[in-house]
Amino acid sequence: MIAVIFILFAGMAIGCAVSVVVQRHPLYGAMSLVGVFVSLAGLYVTLAAPFIAAVQVIVYAGAIMVLVVFVIMLLNVEQEERRRPRLPFLVGAAVTLAGVLFAEAAFILYFVQATPVKPRDPASDVGLTFSIGSELFTRYLLPFEITSLLLLMAIVGAMTLARTGGLLSANTGVVPGAQVLAPDVLDPKPSPGAQPIVTNTSDEAARVLGIADVPRRRDEN
Amino acid sequence: MEPQLSWYLALSAVLFTIGAAGVLIKRNVISMFMCIELMLNAVNLTFVAFSSFFHDVTGQLFVFIVMTVAAAEAAVGLGIIITVFRNRESLNVDEANILKL
Repeated sequence: MIAVIFILFAGMAIGCAVSVVVQRHPLYGAMSLVGVFVSLAGLYVTLAAPFIAAVQVIVYAGAIMVLVVFVIMLLNVEQEERRRPRLPFLVGAAVTLAGVLFAEAAFILYFVQATPVKPRDPASDVGLTFSIGSELFTRYLLPFEITSLLLLMAIVGAMTLARTGGLLSANTGVVPGAQVLAPDVLDPKPSPGAQPIVTNTSDEAARVLGIADVPRRRDEN
Repeated sequence: MEPQLSWYLALSAVLFTIGAAGVLIKRNVISMFMCIELMLNAVNLTFVAFSSFFHDVTGQLFVFIVMTVAAAEAAVGLGIIITVFRNRESLNVDEANILKL
């Protein structure tokens, strides 16, 4: 019975994973990735790990994929165009090497399956929320605290990276985005009515500010 | 018939290989990012399988921490992607060939 569920979820996971790679629009790939996450959550349930299954759905299929889909929508990603293979003679070599890898994996799998594995104990509490929580807050308290530090760093880093604007000094390049310029950066005489300038690209920002001849940073080699 | 440990390990290996191939094939930054998430999930499946078959909860704690790292990676990685897109107006990794913005 559990074998049938395993095969069902495993097939769904592999199919969705292939779809992630094959789809050329990232949004379809993201939807397929949600399928992979959900089927992996089902597999975690067959492994008697209900807590990890729930966290998988909430964190991966919920939070992370919402973030990814949000960025795809935000950036208006275009479809990846079909490219011609640059080294077509390597296709044969790749297929051969993949066959060798597959044979090796099957060989190892055969011998792993031949080794006896002790049967699972249905009465064990491994995987329940109680066992995970009690271990997490006793033996593994230090990794848990380091994790909180990591999340703090991620918050600060993401805010710093995605922030628009910033000060424009004379020897930095032009920064695109919404900016309120300090009046004395561009003009030594302070102007009374400083207006925010909203631009989208570096070139547009340079043109609006009238400093199109200032070299952009990526050209300064 | 009960699923064996080797079934889970084989599935995990297949998923990891598909993810690695995707990272090599794809040219879009967001698609590569999703393939990396796929590889992380394949490793998580190995952890949970070993944890369940050996009655040791440590593997599931590892998965918990891997998920946290993946969430942090998603936030910072997507921030980097937005910054790169704002500077280059493209998500193709072939065009982002120098680290300078």
